[in-house]
Amino acid sequence: MTLADAPLAPPVPPTPAEDGARLGFRLTLPAQVLVLFIAVFPLLMQLYISLTDWSPLAGVAWPRAWEFWNGFANYSDLAQDGRLWAALGRTALVMAVCVPVEFLLGLSLAMLFVDEFPGKRVAYSILIMPMMVVPAVAGYMFFMLFQSGGPVNGLLGTLLGRDIAVAWLSDPTLALVAVMIADIWQWTPLMFLILLAGLVGVPQDQMRAATLLGASAWQRFRTIALPRMKTIMIIALAIRVIENFKIFDTLYIMTGGGPGVATETISVYIYEVTTQDLIWGYVAAIALAILVILSVAAVWAMKRMGRAAA
Amino acid sequence: MSEIAFRNVTKRYGATLAADDLTFTIRDNEFFCFFGPPLAGKTTILRLILGLETPDAGEILIDGRPVTHVPPAQRNVAMVFQNLALFPHMTAEENVRFPLVERRERPEVIAARLRDVAAKLHIGHILHKPPAQLSGGERQRVAIARALVRDPVAYLMDDPISALDARLREETRVELKRIQREAGRTLVYVTHDQEEAMSVADRMAILENGRIRQIGTPSEVYDRPASAYVARLLGAPMMNILPMTRTPQEAEAAGGAIRLPLLDLPSGAAQIGVRPENLRVLPWQGDGTPSRVADVEPLGGYTVVTLDAGAVPLRALLRGQPDIRIDSRVALRVDPGRAHFFGESGEALRLAPGGSA
Amino acid sequence: MSAIHLEHLAKRFGGFTALKAMDLRIEDGEFMALLGPSGCGKSTTMNMIAGMETPSEGRILFGDRDMAGVPMARRGVGFVFQNYAIFTHMTVRQNLSYGLRMTGRPKSEVERRTLDMAEFLQLTPLLDRRADRLSVNILQRVAIGRSAVMEPAIFLLDEPLSNVDAAFRAVMRTELKQLQRQFRQTMVYVTHDQLEAMTMADRIAVMDHGVLQQVGRPIDVYNDPANTFVAAFIGSPGMNLLRGRPVRTDRGLAVDLGVLGVTPPLAAPQARAAEQARGEVIYGFRPEQTTLAREGIASPVSFVERIGARSIVHLGDGPAVFKAVFENDVPAAVGDVVRVLPHADAVRLFDAQTGKAL
Repeated sequence: MTLADAPLAPPVPPTPAEDGARLGFRLTLPAQVLVLFIAVFPLLMQLYISLTDWSPLAGVAWPRAWEFWNGFANYSDLAQDGRLWAALGRTALVMAVCVPVEFLLGLSLAMLFVDEFPGKRVAYSILIMPMMVVPAVAGYMFFMLFQSGGPVNGLLGTLLGRDIAVAWLSDPTLALVAVMIADIWQWTPLMFLILLAGLVGVPQDQMRAATLLGASAWQRFRTIALPRMKTIMIIALAIRVIENFKIFDTLYIMTGGGPGVATETISVYIYEVTTQDLIWGYVAAIALAILVILSVAAVWAMKRMGRAAA
Repeated sequence: MSEIAFRNVTKRYGATLAADDLTFTIRDNEFFCFFGPPLAGKTTILRLILGLETPDAGEILIDGRPVTHVPPAQRNVAMVFQNLALFPHMTAEENVRFPLVERRERPEVIAARLRDVAAKLHIGHILHKPPAQLSGGERQRVAIARALVRDPVAYLMDDPISALDARLREETRVELKRIQREAGRTLVYVTHDQEEAMSVADRMAILENGRIRQIGTPSEVYDRPASAYVARLLGAPMMNILPMTRTPQEAEAAGGAIRLPLLDLPSGAAQIGVRPENLRVLPWQGDGTPSRVADVEPLGGYTVVTLDAGAVPLRALLRGQPDIRIDSRVALRVDPGRAHFFGESGEALRLAPGGSA
Repeated sequence: MSAIHLEHLAKRFGGFTALKAMDLRIEDGEFMALLGPSGCGKSTTMNMIAGMETPSEGRILFGDRDMAGVPMARRGVGFVFQNYAIFTHMTVRQNLSYGLRMTGRPKSEVERRTLDMAEFLQLTPLLDRRADRLSVNILQRVAIGRSAVMEPAIFLLDEPLSNVDAAFRAVMRTELKQLQRQFRQTMVYVTHDQLEAMTMADRIAVMDHGVLQQVGRPIDVYNDPANTFVAAFIGSPGMNLLRGRPVRTDRGLAVDLGVLGVTPPLAAPQARAAEQARGEVIYGFRPEQTTLAREGIASPVSFVERIGARSIVHLGDGPAVFKAVFENDVPAAVGDVVRVLPHADAVRLFDAQTGKAL
């Protein structure tokens, strides 16, 4: 029997509203099943493992991790893990420096690029190039740049007129600075692009009207551009906060988290615990904890965004 | 045959009644115009005809068949968009053929329909050109040809020329009317410009808040408006509508500047309506109540004179460029036969033949 | 002094000339309309006055003061944009008071002047509504009020009524005129609608293709257009322009219009002009300045538009088409042949080559 042969239901016209709701549900059903598998399943799996002492070396597959059940032990360990909290603090520090710097730099550049100037296209291409460099490559690039005999010291030496041999990547403080510089170099362009899109979206007629009514450049920015850019600014900041929290690849190639644990961020720490200590139950606990922290932050940001957009 | 009929159609958006118990019939080959202020429900009616909206109550019939729950694609009603939406990378011919090609019609059918519609709209000689090389009027014709080639029951236009310059609008509306006459077929047209509506429509429906206030030919609606609301919507300057007071023999308005014998009044008349072109302005000879000329706007062919008389300023439309000075005193006359009368709630009242109040 | 003096003002965008050497003096307190079709250079002219564009050539003077190099923020002009450029994220009150607040006026003054302007434009009940939820008609008032509250000596309006509906346009025409009478600003008004220009302006400047065609009082421009462009652009409908050749008839000099036959004899001033003409002329007359008469120009009626008080009768076909406007009860139906007689003193002649009035 083909579909065409199937008996048709008697044409009872449903009311438009319920008709639309039912159709919407049917159309999105496959996607909802997919989301269930992609998001919910791994999450439950992780939760399950985090309550055990399971490790890939245990000799049994993960579904049988219950054999290693240890309840909330991983979570109480987590609370006392000094290295974890230090890594978390470091991550927060990197974020607190990088994201505002990237934001302000990106915003200034975007404001420059709203108006036409000669060579704008070339400057634009050069500006967004760092974003297109593969992070691992960027990491290697900065690793080379910051060598004791590398170009950064060379340039500083030329400027200051004496030999400079700063050991960037082996000094605990300077290594963190170097890592931040690399992050700012690579991700300011993203801020720039998003904020430029926001600025371009501010109606020029309104800006002109404000000018003609006597508003100064700063007043125009504050009263006309800023309120319209609120949403996009929050989006840009949210993207960078979330991304920065997960900072890993560039950093790992530059310093490997060192010297010692001087540049060990949360991602680096998880990586170490996963690949070297192989205590996956504990890793799952850490990952879930971070997920909770990030989710709370994201919900807060969304709420702010919603209010800004209203 | 292509007749579109609404039977008690109601459409609500939340608390707003966009269409309120509408009943009307658009006849075959008619240029039918919906006219009213913004948000009166004009566009909702078009969407109901097209099938983009389903009425909450009532029935829509096309050629006598109920289509209330027939989806848009099967109603065979064509829409001509305001920006015409011609495909710039195609020639006029490819544009016109497009709907048929899309429906996989046989080549000989396409050729025949194309020939037919090109002849009706006089566009045979421009079919090879891309839209960019066509004049505004030619583009209009091509867009209409594309709508008609499907052989639709009717075609719809939603305020198609409001974006044009004033001068171009005047020319295009005449062109549209010609095209519709030549091509035949029912055209349902929406506008908020009273001059345009009167110029193009065979019949028009006047809308207010989702209700039809009057249906008729432009002349009927202009000459015999059903209410003060309709009377004000048509005509520029607007009709002067004034409250009247009665003395035993006379009714007077505009602070006594206008007087009419009670015999000429229908019973219950509370307001008098005088079209500016029917308000006669004469030099004041010392009798009756004079009024003061507040403003004179010479438009060239006509002159608009604003008069201070009573509470509401009056407007008179005089032909030519009469020598009337601001602040001069004038007498006003109204021919009772050309005056309109309205009751307390604005309904039009007419003298019964031979009767009086 | 807030007279505006344009001296040889020109503007080019790349290879495109938007405005060619324009000389115009707009008097202090005058209401001047810049009138022309899209792309005639009227908006460019206004943008240069406001300082949004820099002239390619020529000077702009406010009074005696050369405006070259004065940024738009310091020209002190009020400007109403075609799309209103309302600050949609603010309330009506914030919009109206914007200029006063930004220029640091004392709070009490901001308050008082905002309320006064709101009262004048009947916006008081809407003061605390957000501007993005208002109708176009209201936005239009807010836009005017927002500029007017600054009491600029020069007020520029860029087609402010082209987006509002037809009925409201008539109301706004009256209000704008009132506003100008009350505050006595120098008002420059850009429009493509000749009716707006005719009803509001003290003088109108008609422009086409970047060239100033004629400047004068509305009625003078209507009665004595400088060329065929102005003749056709002013009036609704515009002047009828028929090509012909001057001929002598037994009743005096007339114009042979070809298929439409010979016109009635010309009045004395036009006859003198026709004497000087070499070759063809253009015979112009206003559709409103005609009567139906036996000696008129005979032509079949192709179309009748009845619009309220008047009927526009379209006559002839091919190149010899013209219109006549009569009372709405004119006995003319499609297919009838009618005889239209232009009023003798309302006939105008133009040079067929240059289009200039003779």
